[in-house]
Amino acid sequence: MKKHLLLMTFLVLTASVVFAQKVKFEEYNLPNGLHVILHQDKTVPVAVTSVMYHVGSKDENPNRTGFAHFFEHLLFEGTKNIKRGEWFNIVSSNGGKNNANTTDDRTYYFEVFPSNNVELGLWMESERMMHPVINQIGVDTQNEVVKEEKRMRVDNQPYGRFLEYVKKNVFKKHPYKGTVIGKMEDLDAATLDEFIAFNKKFYIPNNAVLVVAGDIDIPKVKKMIKDYFGPIPRGKDIVRKKIVEEPIKETIYAEAYDSNIQIPAIMASYRTPSFKERDAYVLDMISTYLSNGKSSRLYKRLVDEKKMCLQVGAINRALEDYGLYIIFGMPLGNTDLDAILKEIDDEIVKLQNNLISERDYKKLQNKFENGFVNANSSVAGIANSLARYYLLYGDTNLINDEIKIYRSITREEIQKVARKYLNPNQRLVLKYLPKKDKK
Amino acid sequence: MKKNIYFIIAFLLISTGLFAQIDRSHPPKPGPSPKISLDNPKEFKLSNGLEVLVVENHKLPKVTYSLRLDRVPVTEGKKAGVSGLLGSLLGNGTTSIPKDKFNEEVDFLGAYIGFSDNGAIASSLTQYSDKILELMADATMHPLFSEEEFNKDKEKMIQGLKSSEKNVNTIASRVGRALVFGVHHPFGEFITEESLNNITFDDVKALYKSNFHPAKAYLVVVGDVEFNKVKKSVEKYFKNWKKGDLKNVKVPEALPNVAKTEIDFVDVPNAVQSNISLTNKIVLHKKDPDYYAALMANEILGGGFNGYLNMNLREKHGYTYGSYSYINDSRYVARFRTTAKVRNAVTDSAVVETIKEIKRIRTEPVDADLLKNTKAKYTGNFVLALENPQTIAEFAMDIKTLNLPADYYTNYLKNINAVSVSDVKRAANKFFLVDHARIIVAGKGSEVLKNLEKTGLPIKYYDKYANPVKKPDYNSAVPAGITGKTVIQNYLKAIGGIENINKMKSIFVKAEATIQGMQLTMIIKKMNGNKFLQEMSAMGNVMNKTVVNGNSGYVEAQGRKKEFSADELKKFEDNLALIPELSLLKKDLKVEGIEDVDGEKAYKLKLSDERSSYYSVKTGLKLKDVQVNKNGAVESFYKDYKEVKGVKFPFILSQSMGPQKFDFIVKEIKVNEGVTDADFK
Repeated sequence: MKKHLLLMTFLVLTASVVFAQKVKFEEYNLPNGLHVILHQDKTVPVAVTSVMYHVGSKDENPNRTGFAHFFEHLLFEGTKNIKRGEWFNIVSSNGGKNNANTTDDRTYYFEVFPSNNVELGLWMESERMMHPVINQIGVDTQNEVVKEEKRMRVDNQPYGRFLEYVKKNVFKKHPYKGTVIGKMEDLDAATLDEFIAFNKKFYIPNNAVLVVAGDIDIPKVKKMIKDYFGPIPRGKDIVRKKIVEEPIKETIYAEAYDSNIQIPAIMASYRTPSFKERDAYVLDMISTYLSNGKSSRLYKRLVDEKKMCLQVGAINRALEDYGLYIIFGMPLGNTDLDAILKEIDDEIVKLQNNLISERDYKKLQNKFENGFVNANSSVAGIANSLARYYLLYGDTNLINDEIKIYRSITREEIQKVARKYLNPNQRLVLKYLPKKDKK
Repeated sequence: MKKNIYFIIAFLLISTGLFAQIDRSHPPKPGPSPKISLDNPKEFKLSNGLEVLVVENHKLPKVTYSLRLDRVPVTEGKKAGVSGLLGSLLGNGTTSIPKDKFNEEVDFLGAYIGFSDNGAIASSLTQYSDKILELMADATMHPLFSEEEFNKDKEKMIQGLKSSEKNVNTIASRVGRALVFGVHHPFGEFITEESLNNITFDDVKALYKSNFHPAKAYLVVVGDVEFNKVKKSVEKYFKNWKKGDLKNVKVPEALPNVAKTEIDFVDVPNAVQSNISLTNKIVLHKKDPDYYAALMANEILGGGFNGYLNMNLREKHGYTYGSYSYINDSRYVARFRTTAKVRNAVTDSAVVETIKEIKRIRTEPVDADLLKNTKAKYTGNFVLALENPQTIAEFAMDIKTLNLPADYYTNYLKNINAVSVSDVKRAANKFFLVDHARIIVAGKGSEVLKNLEKTGLPIKYYDKYANPVKKPDYNSAVPAGITGKTVIQNYLKAIGGIENINKMKSIFVKAEATIQGMQLTMIIKKMNGNKFLQEMSAMGNVMNKTVVNGNSGYVEAQGRKKEFSADELKKFEDNLALIPELSLLKKDLKVEGIEDVDGEKAYKLKLSDERSSYYSVKTGLKLKDVQVNKNGAVESFYKDYKEVKGVKFPFILSQSMGPQKFDFIVKEIKVNEGVTDADFK
């Protein structure tokens, strides 16, 4: 309620500059619980069909990590009516593109077709939801593929394991302590029955949202959705347990070693609130102010002016239950890692003691407006946002309203939130160091 | 609350209906090709003649303005390049806003403004759209021209020309255009250092005056605008734009296509790959009934990875990394052309195979499934391009300036899908004139010409600027008595003699280069016993390091280390010695001829199939090494020899890889100091 009042005051004040961005959509549920969002945009004859399942690595059995990501691969193997290996042929010979991705919180599958193939996209996604083929051949094949992926993206990648170390140290109980790709020994140990059970539990209409966006005929598409998705049986309701972490009260110090690197890095990682919280939006602005781009405070200070760092930046990992804000610096020459941390802290203290300048504030606003607009510049981007805002934030309309939250954030609030979250005793200080002479 | 009621109603409706019987066992058939529902732009015209097209699209709070001046292309002749200079000078401030302030203002708004010689583009969020239009209008009508910027930009363009002087691809493209259209034609002429030097500050201002006025000028506004508001703004900011006169110019006739297909050869002695392009003039308008068939024919012949050309030249024969074809359309005249860059040895074969594939699409009906998939792929690409609002602006302008029907782009995909197998064949015969084409080959004549002659096609010879020349003479025979051994002996003598060379135990070299503003430092250390180290660092950080110590070695880059295999080490072998030529004395090397290296005659010594070295005829010193690999060739040049402890070393080391060239300037060379065994661990 308070939030609304604040928004309204703001709207009145800035009425002269407010402009409309309106992504129109309608949403409804099928009887089997599948949530459907339709967005019509006839300017471009593209149609996106996508399904987001509310299952990510945080939903896995702690002894069977990597399952959600594994399914991102497995569910391209084939269905009752799509033969193994045929999926990609069908898509490309019909002028389309497709892909999938997995996070800690959700898994997303999508196809982009010229709009005359919207029915094809719906057929494919309904096939995937209704009767995917999960058999030993598929599991064995994808097991190898996933291992290659891990070697390429994580093990062989300089700095590829930093997130793993940050998560391990910042989270003690919450499943965010593990990685999305999971442990290979878990995947090796998993039985076919376990995969089938995981599919039955999570890949069900009442745990998913279907988005159809683009140049679509709404009544026709509604009928197709009913025909293709209607017969899929509802699954058992999923009960999610909320796991609460104790606040970090004393600095956590840790070291990690990586044989792929020569230049060390220091990372200050703060545990931040769920992306649904207003404070998370404020922290997002702080992150941009401190470390986004070459005109940001930390870049100017550490790279441009003092020439202490080769690179400095931040990763803002916004998640459903908690978030991570990680500031990192890589030293130039022989700069001491602790000296870098001290500079970063100086800049944070400034932020806690002073208001940022009016011009910097305005520039921040301009940057967020730009980012917001660009996030919605393609139908595929809009489809993804609609699915995410519904499934994870519980408010589809954020696609139009989220920017209002950023607009309502004041300079004072930025200061307040910096004081609340960015204190030295609330974080992990991770030294990420080259590992020598290990075969 | 309202929403909830709606939900319940929807729920009831759905739950009462039965599921229709659908056949899930096969993929559903695609619907009819989508019509593109493009809004027709709203239009108005200012009293000074500026026509404004407004495409309202409120999906995003973003506005793009593009100003197009529809000018007949003019041959610039002796002052070729003046239009390029005008484009680079515009958009740098106005008579009332200095350059720095103008650019800063645009940055702060998160907006963009850019100019060319016949137009401008500006984009911003809706909330700054009025401001950005004002800035754009101001920069259009009252540009700040400074002679200082003019000189700077001209110098930059001259530098740009110089850096690509020996670039085979630049040469091939220039000669191709000049021969097909003629240098008298605006599409055939080209910029030279001379033509740039002919241009005065006044020429640029005069061109501005003749181009930038509202006659036949269009401002296309796409995005989140309200017609009435944007109309007012445009009127406000552009109403004082003074009328100008359109010059009554006619585009000259382009040259006719040749009566019989010929090879037009440009000798580029430094080339290690030949650039091959079969090309002919075409007249293809968007309204042409064969336009869509021409697009499909080109897509199938060489539009992508799976095109006939690439499947043959790359996948089947491995001649090239890629071979493609292009057609474009124009109100005036256009070109069909194929491309391929192939290694010298297969130049003639690549020409033969290119001709073969064009003949194939002209005679054999294309596979119906291939045509179907090509349409699907083309449709997909076309549709995706539409998401960029600039594409929509482009369409609106085409309809306006090319006199296309208003529903031209709405019917576009329908027309693509109507193309039949026989249409493709007809279009191929109409546009791909394999019997009246020029095959432009830019390459190393001494290695490729003999085989090209075997193709039986007539060959004509041109220089790098498309002037006809006589057939080059490659018989500058190596004088009697010159052998690999004598060349090496001369070299060793020239750098200081074997006695002095043998006194050396180690060499330390430190050299620096600046690449895109970043300073690179290279350290090379060598020691007797095949010990070698090369370290490249930027801003004090080691980027990569190569170490060889007798029979083992490794390369380390970005934190990753890789040991060399025995095979890889063997490749280095010759380079490890302090002066590698010492070991060459024992080998029986062939002098392949006398060639030109930067204006100096040099003996070419073949070291292996991949490597050759060039030694000056006059001084005996080494001028160049060439190493050919899959992706082209790396050339190393040696200049500015100076003596250190009785032995001469080059103090400028240049390396070129494709279009890039790096100059390493040697800062320090030490002999028998600064190197220890420990360096090679």
